Amino acid sequence: MKITRLLPWVIGAATAVASLLPIQASAEADAEQIVRNSCLSCHTDEGSSALPQSKGQKSAPQWSRISHQRKTPEGWLMSIARMQVMHGLIISDNDRRTLVKYLADRQGLAPEETTGFRYAMERRLNTQESFESEEFTQICARCHSGARVALQRRPASEWEHLVHFHLGQWPTIEYQAMGRDRDWLGSALNSMVPQLAKQFPLESKVWSDWQSAQKPSLAGSWRFAGSAAGRGDVEGSMSITGSDEKGYQLELMGSYADGTAFKGRGQGIVYTGYEWRANLNIAGVAMRQVFAASKDGSRLEGRMFEALHDEVGMDISALKDTGVTNQILTVQPSYIKAGETQKLTIVGNNLKGKLSLGQDIQISKVLEKGKNKILVEVRADTKAKLGGRSVTVGKSKGGDLQVYDRIASIQVVPNFSVARVGGNGGSTPKVTSAFQAEAWAPGLDGKAGTDDDLRIGFIPASWHVEPFDEAAKADKDTRFAGTMDATRGVFSPALAGPNPDRRMSTNNAGNLKVVAKLTDGDTTLQAEGQLIVTVQRWNNPPLP
Amino acid sequence: MNLITLKNKKNGRLVLPLVSLFSLSILIGGVSESVEAKTNQRLVVGNEYMLVTNYPNNLHVLDLATEKVMKTCQLPDDFGPGAIKVSPDHKTAYVLNNHYEDIYGIDMDSCDVVFTARQSNGNERVKSIFSFAVSPDGKELYTIQNPTLLNKDHYRIQEPRLAVYDTKGGLDAKPIRSFPAPRQVTVMSVAENGTLLMAGEDFYAVDVNTGEKTVALANRNWQRPLYAAPDVLNAWPMDTANNEFLSLYTTARFQDETMDLNSAEWIYGFHTIDLKTGKAESIDFGPITEIYFTGMRNPADSNIVYGVLNRLAKYDISKKEMINAAPLDHSYYCIAMNDKGTRVYLAGTFNDVAIYDADSLEKTGSIKLPGGDMAITTAQVFRR
Ligand code: HEC
Ligand code: HEC
Repeated sequence: MKITRLLPWVIGAATAVASLLPIQASAEADAEQIVRNSCLSCHTDEGSSALPQSKGQKSAPQWSRISHQRKTPEGWLMSIARMQVMHGLIISDNDRRTLVKYLADRQGLAPEETTGFRYAMERRLNTQESFESEEFTQICARCHSGARVALQRRPASEWEHLVHFHLGQWPTIEYQAMGRDRDWLGSALNSMVPQLAKQFPLESKVWSDWQSAQKPSLAGSWRFAGSAAGRGDVEGSMSITGSDEKGYQLELMGSYADGTAFKGRGQGIVYTGYEWRANLNIAGVAMRQVFAASKDGSRLEGRMFEALHDEVGMDISALKDTGVTNQILTVQPSYIKAGETQKLTIVGNNLKGKLSLGQDIQISKVLEKGKNKILVEVRADTKAKLGGRSVTVGKSKGGDLQVYDRIASIQVVPNFSVARVGGNGGSTPKVTSAFQAEAWAPGLDGKAGTDDDLRIGFIPASWHVEPFDEAAKADKDTRFAGTMDATRGVFSPALAGPNPDRRMSTNNAGNLKVVAKLTDGDTTLQAEGQLIVTVQRWNNPPLP
Repeated sequence: MNLITLKNKKNGRLVLPLVSLFSLSILIGGVSESVEAKTNQRLVVGNEYMLVTNYPNNLHVLDLATEKVMKTCQLPDDFGPGAIKVSPDHKTAYVLNNHYEDIYGIDMDSCDVVFTARQSNGNERVKSIFSFAVSPDGKELYTIQNPTLLNKDHYRIQEPRLAVYDTKGGLDAKPIRSFPAPRQVTVMSVAENGTLLMAGEDFYAVDVNTGEKTVALANRNWQRPLYAAPDVLNAWPMDTANNEFLSLYTTARFQDETMDLNSAEWIYGFHTIDLKTGKAESIDFGPITEIYFTGMRNPADSNIVYGVLNRLAKYDISKKEMINAAPLDHSYYCIAMNDKGTRVYLAGTFNDVAIYDADSLEKTGSIKLPGGDMAITTAQVFRR
C-alpha cells in the first residue's frame, strides 16, 4: 500500500509556510468560538482547565485531544490541515490562521524546547539527523524527520493516541522494512511511548516559566548580518513596526559582500511570544523569515529563504537597537591571515567609540565609519597571535575574529546534500544545492585533523563535480544530472522527466562527488562531499 | 465515525464507471457487445489459465495456450491490492480489494460477483494485508482481519483475528467463526489436510476449527547458528503447481561469534512448507546479488528456483549458484509458471505479462492487458 495522501503541501513549501502568515490576530473568544463551531462535531468539550495556565488566564476551555498537546505553529498547522484532509473538517483559511495563533500561543514550545531542532522549521531540508536511539530512528524517524517528533510535547496518553493513529492510518507500517523485523506496535507502545512521554512531556518547568514570562515586543530597528551559501556575507537593517496583537510590518535593506544591494518589505507575526515568521518580497522574489527571538527580545536568529526555493537562503542574526552605544553584531569576514592586508566590516548599532582589533592588527585605512557599520582596511602582523580574539568598539566587546597562519584542511559544507530535478512542464521547480568550503587552521600542535584545530570560516574555493562511483561513471551522471557553478559552488540540477539519451531512458538523477579546491600559499587543498540528484519531492509538509 | 471509509467508497463508485468506460473503449478498442459476449464465455476444462488484476478494476483471465486475454471481468469498488486466490475447483476467483478491506468471489465463467465479504463494519475498519486463503474443499474462506476502531476523535488498534467465512455466504457474507490471531500476518495457504498456514513473525499452522496455532516454521525466531534473522517481503499470496507454500528470504551468515556484518555472507533463500506432507524447510539458494520480490520453484525440477524484480534469474539450489539471468524491459513483481514447468510468466506493474522460456530464459512472448497498472497484483495459474 502506497502512502499517498492529498495533503495541501504537495505543491511546495511556499503555500505551507504562507498559510501561517497574513495576519489578522483575532481575540481569544473568536478562536474558542471557532473550535466550538468547527471541531466539536468530533472532539468533546471537557469543561475546565487542566493545563497550567499562563498569567491572567483563570480558566480555559478544554477540548479532547486538542488541549493535551503542545507544538510549534507549523505543527498546529499540520494537525489542523490533517483534520481537513483526512477527516473532512471544514474551516476557512482565516479561521485556521486564528486557531493556529491561539493554539501556538497557549500550547506552544518554550524557546529551550526547540533547541537543536529548529532546522525543521527553518527548512534546512538537507540536515542529516542522527539520534542516539537507534530504536527511535527506526521506529519514528524513518518516514519523516525525528524533529517533527521532538518538536511536540504530550503526555503518555497522547503519544499513545499518535501511535494508534499511525498504524490505523497506514496499516502497512508494521509490514514494511523496519516494521516487519520486530513487533512494531509493541515497541512503539511499550518502548517509544514511555520514552517520548519522559523526554517530551506535556508539562515542563521551562514552559510554565515561559508562559509567565514577559514577552517583549519585537518592534524596533534591527541590524542583521548573515551568510548566504553561494553569495557570501550579507548585512543590513530591518525596521519592524506593529505589535504582537495586530501583527507586524517590516522593511529591510541590505547588501551582499560584493556590494549588491537589496531591499524588501513584508509582514510578520509572532507565535508563542518568540517565534517570528515573516513573509516578504525582495526585488520581486517572495521570501520567508523563520526566526527565534531571544527571551529578552533583543536578538533574532534563524533563516531567511526564498518561498519557492527554500533551499536558497541565508543564516541570519539580528540585533535590536536598544539605544545602548556600541552593540557589535558581527565582523565580516570573521578571519584574517597573519601577514595579510584585507578589508573588515564591523556590523552593529550605535557604533561610536574607537575600534580596536587587539595587538598586532593595525588599521591601515578607515573606509567608512557609520553609526551601524565600520569598514576598515587592516593588516595582521606575520607574528600576530593566532586564534580567536574579540573586536572592541569603545568599551564594548563583540564579534569574533580568527587569526590564522595557514589553512591546514578544508571541508565541504554540507558534506552530503540532495538536489532535485524539476521544471520541464511539471509543477515542481528544481531544487538546487549550494556548497561552501570551510577552512580549518592546524591549531597549536601544527597538525591538521586534531582536536585543537581552529575553524577559520567559509573561504572562496573553486568547484566541480565528479562521478561518485563506478555506476555513476558508467551512467555519465556528471553529464546528465546538472551543472556546478565553479565559483559560487551552486549546483543546478537538470530537467525532470525521462531522458531518451540516457540508458533505459531514465531520468536525470545522479550520484556525484562535489569537489572544492583552493590554494593557500604554496599548498593546494581539496575536499569532497556527496551530492545525490534525485526526483522531485511530491510531498512537502511544513515540517519535514 | 467512519467518514473515511464512507468517503472513499463514494468516490470510488462515482469515479469508477467513467474510468472503466474510458479504458474499455480506448484500450480494448472493441465494441461493447463483444465485451459482453466475452464476459460470458466459459473456461474450458483441461485448459490452463492465468489470472491477474489491474487498474481501474479488472480481473483478467489469460488463456495460456493462445497467450491471449480470454476475458476481462469487472470488479466492484476500488482497486487495490487486487490480490487473488483461486477456489480448488478453479471456478471462482477471490480478490482482496477496495483498499484491502473487502473480498469478492467472481464466478469466472459468468464474471458474476457471487461472494462479497465486507470486512469493515460501523466504525470498525478492517484491513487484510494479503492474508486470505480458501479451504481445500472450497467451502471456507479464511482471512486475517486487522481491525481499527475509528472513534470520533481517536483511533484504537484492535487485536487481529482469524475470520472464517462460508463461501456460500453470498453477497453479504459474515464470518461464521473467528479466533484471535497474531499481528503482522501476510500471505496464507491451506495444507491438503485443511491446516491453515500463515506467514507472520514465524510461519504458523492453525487449526481452523479451534484457532489453535503452532509454529510450523521459525522465521524471525529461527535458531540457525551464526545466521541473522531473515527478512521476508510477502505481498503475493501465490499458489504453486507443485503445491508448496514458498516465501523468499534474505539473511546474513556471520563468520564467527563476533557477528561482524562487514565480513558476513549475504544470502538468498526460501522458506517452504509442503502442502501435502507439511514438511517445512528453510533453504539457502545463493548469494544476494540483486533483489527479488517473488520467487518460485520449477514444478518439473525442484532443484531450480527463479527470482524476479529487475531481472529474471534462475538458480541451481543444490549448487547454490545463479545459472542464468535475463534482463527485463521493466520491473515485474510477481512470478508464475505453467504446470509443466516450461514457461515463466511475469506480472505486476505496467500492463503487460511477459513470457519466458523456463529453460533458456529467452523471452517468447507477452500479453498486453486492457486497462492500466497491475501494481501489486497476484498472478495465479491453474488448469480448469
Ligand atoms: C470530522 C471529525 C473531526 C473534526 C471536525 C476535527 N477533528 Fe481533530 N481529530 C479527529 C480524529 C478522528 C482524530 C484522531 C486521528 C488523527 O489523529 O488524525 C483527531 C485528532 C486530532 C488531534 C490530535 C492529533 C495528533 O497528532 O495526535 C488534534 C490536535 C486535533 N484533532 C485537532 C482538531 C482541531 C483543532 C479541529 C477543529 C479545527 C479538529 N481537530 C476537528 C477528527 C476530527
Ligand atoms: C510509515 C511512515 C511513518 C512512521 C514509521 C512514523 N510516522 Fe509519524 N507521520 C507519518 C505521516 C505520513 C504523518 C502525517 C504528515 C502530514 O500530516 O502531513 C505523520 C505525522 C506525525 C506527527 C505529526 C502529527 C500531528 O498532527 O501533530 C508526529 C508528531 C509523528 N508523526 C510522530 C511519529 C512518531 C512518534 C512515530 C514513531 C512511533 C512516527 N511518527 C512514525 C508517517 C510516519
